[in-house]
Amino acid sequence: MTAAITAGIIGVLLAGTILFLVRRDHLHGSFALWWFAIAAAILILGLFPPVIDWLGTVTGIYYPPILPIVIGIGMILLRLLKMDVDRSRYERQMRRLTQKLAIVEQELRETRDELAKKRPAEISETPVAAQRVVGGR
Amino acid sequence: MADVVAGVRTNTSCDVLVVDDASNDATTAAAEAAGARVLCLPNQLGAWGATQAGIRFAQRRGYRTVVTLDADGQHDPLELPALLAAHRESGANVVIGTCSERLSDAKRLAAGYFRFITGIAVQDFTSGLRVYDRRAIRTLASREASLLDYQDLGVLMLLRKKGLTLMEAPTRMSPRRSGGSRVFSSWRMVARYMMHTTVLCFAQISARGRIGRRRAAKASA
Repeated sequence: MTAAITAGIIGVLLAGTILFLVRRDHLHGSFALWWFAIAAAILILGLFPPVIDWLGTVTGIYYPPILPIVIGIGMILLRLLKMDVDRSRYERQMRRLTQKLAIVEQELRETRDELAKKRPAEISETPVAAQRVVGGR
Repeated sequence: MADVVAGVRTNTSCDVLVVDDASNDATTAAAEAAGARVLCLPNQLGAWGATQAGIRFAQRRGYRTVVTLDADGQHDPLELPALLAAHRESGANVVIGTCSERLSDAKRLAAGYFRFITGIAVQDFTSGLRVYDRRAIRTLASREASLLDYQDLGVLMLLRKKGLTLMEAPTRMSPRRSGGSRVFSSWRMVARYMMHTTVLCFAQISARGRIGRRRAAKASA
């Protein structure tokens, strides 16, 4: 077995997995695009090893076999940084949502209390709804 | 904590809001019984996240001034009238209640260090006893303030970046009745906190020159 075939198998398997995940709705579209690019890069570099030597001379790295590893690690670092940026955004959204939920819940309680003061008879006629609120807290 | 609520209600004309940071003890009922409104956060957000929830509540209801104080009893409600008066008279956007006797050497050192790198001359930058005016409320309720973790330098730097004025007023504080300082509890926490805040300071440093000039202009006027 040659390195080209190994790389080809890895690339095809990766591409297949990505398609499967997108199909099953486990992977968001924009992520799928990134992973497809990775699969394509593996395929190209694996099937046409001279590309690596050419890239080595272009970038000035005189031991070309290390090049795919350097590129790979660079990509992983980029991806990790992007993930932390995204996580910060989600953290901000989550905090603001939590605060808003607490504020709205407080307003709901206050409004309900005011309503109960104004129309005690009508409120007490709907014990089921009131019970559900107590149980949900 | 019910004592704190009652104290604030008797010493000022403020409406009292207690923020329950996802604790499961009986604080909510106690605070409500003492006449406070309560915000119950479903997830724990930490000191600043909880404070910001209260500030956002105030903004939504159109309050002009927000006073924050810790519910663990270290901030005496008796000090509030003087603090509010200082806020009224000075015209500063933010007044920080500072207790210089309570400051440990480590805290003084930290304050000196941060004064050196940020230029913010605040003695007790961790003090949770503060008065915010409307502009400060608007600034601190914004999305920009949501990723801060502590209510100290990050908050102060944000306020200064927006051109708000800070002032310190000397206050008496009692020792905490329950729980120790969250930040200054162990050396590892302190180191982590110092590094975290230093990074924040350097990230904000571009805002420094502008405010410095503005402050100088205000001083000469």
